[in-house]
Formats: sequence, structure tokens, C-alpha cells
Amino acid sequence: MNMNRTRTENVEARSVNDTIIEAQSISRVFQMPAGPVMAVRDVSLQVRSGDYIAVRGPSGCGKSTLLHMLGCVDTATSGVLLFSGSDVADLSDAARSLLRLRQIGFIFQRFFLLPMLTAWENVELPQSEAGIGKAERDRRTRELLDYVGLGARADHRPAQLSGGEMQRVAIARALANRPRLLLADEPTGELDEATGEQIASLLDHVNADGTALVVVTHNTTLAGRARRELMMRDGRVERETAR
Amino acid sequence: MTIWSTTHRAMAMAWRSLIRQPTRASLGVLGVAAVGALLLDMLLLSQGLIVSMRDLLARTGYDVRVTATEDLPRNGPRLHDVQTTLATIAGLPAVRSALALRFVDGAVDLAAGMTVDVSLEGVTGQAPHPWTVLRGRDIHDSGEIVVNDSIATASGIAPGAELLLRADCGAGAESLPPSRLRVVGVAEFPFELANENTIGTTLDTATAACGSDGPEQANVILVTSADDPDAAVKAIRAARPDLGAATNEQVLGRVEQTGFTYFRQISSVLTTITLSFALLLIAVLLTVSVNQRLGEIAALRALGFSRSRVVADVLCESALIVGSGGLLSLPIGAVLAAFLDRILKRMPGIPSELHFFVFQPSALELHLALLAATALVAALYPMHIVARLPIASTLRDQIAE
Repeated sequence: MNMNRTRTENVEARSVNDTIIEAQSISRVFQMPAGPVMAVRDVSLQVRSGDYIAVRGPSGCGKSTLLHMLGCVDTATSGVLLFSGSDVADLSDAARSLLRLRQIGFIFQRFFLLPMLTAWENVELPQSEAGIGKAERDRRTRELLDYVGLGARADHRPAQLSGGEMQRVAIARALANRPRLLLADEPTGELDEATGEQIASLLDHVNADGTALVVVTHNTTLAGRARRELMMRDGRVERETAR
Repeated sequence: MTIWSTTHRAMAMAWRSLIRQPTRASLGVLGVAAVGALLLDMLLLSQGLIVSMRDLLARTGYDVRVTATEDLPRNGPRLHDVQTTLATIAGLPAVRSALALRFVDGAVDLAAGMTVDVSLEGVTGQAPHPWTVLRGRDIHDSGEIVVNDSIATASGIAPGAELLLRADCGAGAESLPPSRLRVVGVAEFPFELANENTIGTTLDTATAACGSDGPEQANVILVTSADDPDAAVKAIRAARPDLGAATNEQVLGRVEQTGFTYFRQISSVLTTITLSFALLLIAVLLTVSVNQRLGEIAALRALGFSRSRVVADVLCESALIVGSGGLLSLPIGAVLAAFLDRILKRMPGIPSELHFFVFQPSALELHLALLAATALVAALYPMHIVARLPIASTLRDQIAE
């Protein structure tokens, strides 16, 4: 199924200089009672259209912090972060929100679906927020739920879904506004191995359909599916592997 | 996107958030309903007596009252040489008609050998009498009276019957001979107290009952102005600077200063306390609700919901709780007001037609405005929490938990 653009278009897109986000020596320092803690140190990274990047490393090495900065929900203490060539630091809070709404999708370890909404409503929510019309929302929501294999469970609330199904809904929600970049923080962290494998396959599809993917994970199998793998330690990218 | 569509979406989200915890939401709404009902009643009470008194004064058709001094009628000294004074006032161009009224206390002997205390109103002048005849006819001559329903019911008398009145007009009243009076009708007196026995008659009958052959006296002259009550007062003061003349509004002002101000003070204090309770109730509810959803709110922010949008969600939740509770408070407040009114009217000296709780659109508007302000102020702290929520660290903390 073609979710965003065709594979051919995707390859063509990657052939030109199409950097979505570029981190230039970014660092993040947290002021803690015991003193400042540097969670991320001088990380430079480019994410281009169609990229599939896995970020691995021990707990507390700065993976999630890096992901949050790439997703514009956290601000680098130093360095420059460019999104489509624009410095994110220059954007207002409202502009960053709009950027996230239209260009970035988030998948969380704990799904964070709204429990009072059905699967359909959870997927529809970001579209509604983006001002998309009802007919287009309905079409897109149906398409996305079918895409993640939950077309038949559209009326179910999160409490009526399994962990894997909730994460599928969360993926559909993250894709709702056709983001260029999808960020996933331990997307299989709360799932069993078999379900995690299904989610990993789904993410493969998402990436193959043209969405750039950055996944923070401890799961080596999931990380092994990525074309680039960053190994972090003590806030630094210790090693980068390209496949 | 328009403000309307943003508000609509925020309202829809707030509604879903509220019904997610139906028990908590219901308790909140019921709490606001109870507080709102009390608030409404306090607002009705703060102006109720004045509004009711104004209505009562206006209902009699007189808009100016003339007394011997600036005191309220019945409290100060009587007017002397009433007929001359009445003729002077009635002859003024600013005055349409005037009526002198004297109050006399007394007792009447009923057929069963029972005696009841009565209040006699003796009138003279060309204006309509300050009572409404319900049965029989109005008085035309000396010795004729109309009685209120209380006397008619207690004595079982009807028009055509006679009563023996013993007037109590001050010193030496015990020695006054009883007056035989003929009942010609049953009437309603606007200012009569609950269960009060009232008799209406001519001024000369009332004067005779007091055993006086001298010039007639009266407690008050009731005046209907030709057009403007203020102009009538001005003209009366010019003609008779020795008398006190006041419009209904001026009388109300004096009444308000002498007695009704207590009700306003009490209602102000209780309104403040009531609003404080509402404020605390909603603030606690919303704060707990928001603190339980920090992860979801941070996730929504990460997904691109703006700060103003999540803040609007909280404000809409507050508005929904207060709005639902406020609507519910109206019928509860109305029932409670009727109940409290019945209790307060049992106080001595309260005319039966006077009400403590009177509905006015302005009270409803103030009620809604105060509740709206409460919804806003109560939501300030939870809105602050949401507005200042650090997305990344909240998501991290939620995972850690």
C-alpha cells in the first residue's frame, strides 16, 4: 500500500539533497541537584528522506534525549538543529508544535493513546488538530487502520486492545498527517517478542513507503532492520554502522 | 483554523476527558450545583426585599408619601389638620390625587365571645383606597368598613354583618367606648402582615373610634403624581416645607438603610464563602485530573498539539463542570429559595406580600458571570501546570514510572 509516496519516488527523492533534519554538534545538559549532567555530547547527525536509523546503547546513555531533540520536544543546550534547513532554535513554541503536527510523528513505548477515545478517534485526532476536513479524515483514518491491520477494530477503545494492537494504533496515529520523519522510542519495549516482531515489520513497511524513521531501542533484532545504527555511550555516538 | 473550531475541538476533548471518570465528574457537577444554588439564593436575597418592597409600593398606585417628618410612615408623629393639608397637596399641578391614611390599633369582639387584635386603616381623599375589594363593595360612608380575609374567616362574618371595635389610640384608650361598625366588603391589603387582622374605613370613622372630635390626624398622605414623582415631591416641599415628602425610591432608600442592609451584608459574606468553596472544589478536581494525565498531555504536545490547545482543553473542562453544575443549580436554587422564603416570612412584622427571594434577570446574569469567573480562576493553576509541562522530561518520567 502506498501511504505517502511510491518507492520509486522515494528513491528519486533520496537521490537529491533532501535532508529532513540535521544536528550539528548538539549537546544537552540537565541541571541536577548534584550538578550538571551532560546527557548528549556533541552529536552530529543527518536524517534524510527514507532513512531508517536505529539508536542503541545502555540505559541512560542519552538515546531518548537525542530523540526528543530531533523531535523538537527538547532544546539543545548547545549546537544547532536544522529542520528542512531552518534552525529549530529560532522557532516559537507554537511553530515547533505546528512542525511536529505536520512533519514529525511520534511513537512511544507506552503508546499514550487516549483511553476515552476509540482506535478510530485516536487516529483521527491529529488530523482534526491539523484542520483536515471530515471526509478526508475519514478516508485517511480508514486507510491507516487498514494499513496497520486494525480496520475491524476501529470502534475499540485502547482498554479493549492488546499491547501490540495499541502500538499499531499509535503507529497509525503517528502517520496520520503524513509526517516526513517518524520517531519511535522503544516501540517494542512493552511487547512480547512475537508482537514486537510484528511491530518491527510494520515499521519496515512504513519506512519502505517513504517515511524516514529513527528508532531508539534496546532490541537488537529491531535495530538490525535499520540501514544505519548509532551506538551511543555516555551521551556520545560511539559508533555508526551503515548497512 | 478559527477560534470556533478550536473551541469546538477543545470542548469535545474536555467532554471526553470528563466522562472518562464519570463518578468524579458527577461529584464535581453536583458540588457546583449545590454551591451554585446557594450562590443564586444569596444573590436573590441581597436584592429580594428591596425588589419586593418596590413592587409592593408600586402596586398601590401611589408614588409619593408625605409624612410629618422624614421618618417612615407609622414611625414618626402624625400629620395634623389633615383636610387642609390634603387639599393643599391635592391642588398642586404636579399631583394627580392624594389620600390621607391613619393607622389605629384596636380589638374587635367576635360572635363567639372571642376578641382579636386588629389594625385599622382610616382614609380620606379622592384617590383610590389602598386596598382591593374581594367580595361585597367598598366603603362609602362613615361607620362602614371592609375587613380582610383573616377577620372574615376567623369570625365567619360576611358583608352586612356588624362588628364592635375597641380602639387603642394611646393614653386613656381603655376608657374609649366601643364603636359599632358595619361590614360592607372583604378586601385585600397589600401591606398587611401574615395573619394580621386589618380593617379599612373612613378617616372620620377611625378618628371617632379614638374618641376625638378635634381636627383629624393622619400618619401619611399617599400621593399619585401627575407625571413625575420627583416633581411632585419638589412641589409638595415648596408648598409645605414643614412636611416630609419622599418618592417610593427615596422611601426604599430609607428602608434599605434602616433594616435591609443586614440581608445584603449577610448575603455578601455567604456569597464570598460559597464562591471560595466552588473555587477550591473545581481547582482540586482539575488539578488531580491533570496530574493523572501528564503523560497523555505530554504525548499530545509531542504529537503537535499546541500549548494553547492543551490549556484550552483544561479551561473547557472547567467550563463544562461549572456550566453543567450551574444549569443544575438553577432549579435547585429556585426550590431552595421558595423554601427559605417561607421560613423567613414567619418573622414578625413582615407583610405577607413581601418576599425575601425575588427572581430578577440581573441576579441570574450576575450568577452566571460569577460562575464563569469561578470556572476561569479555578482553572488557572491546572492550566499553569499544563502550559509549563516539560514535554521531554514528562515523557521520560512516565516511562520510568
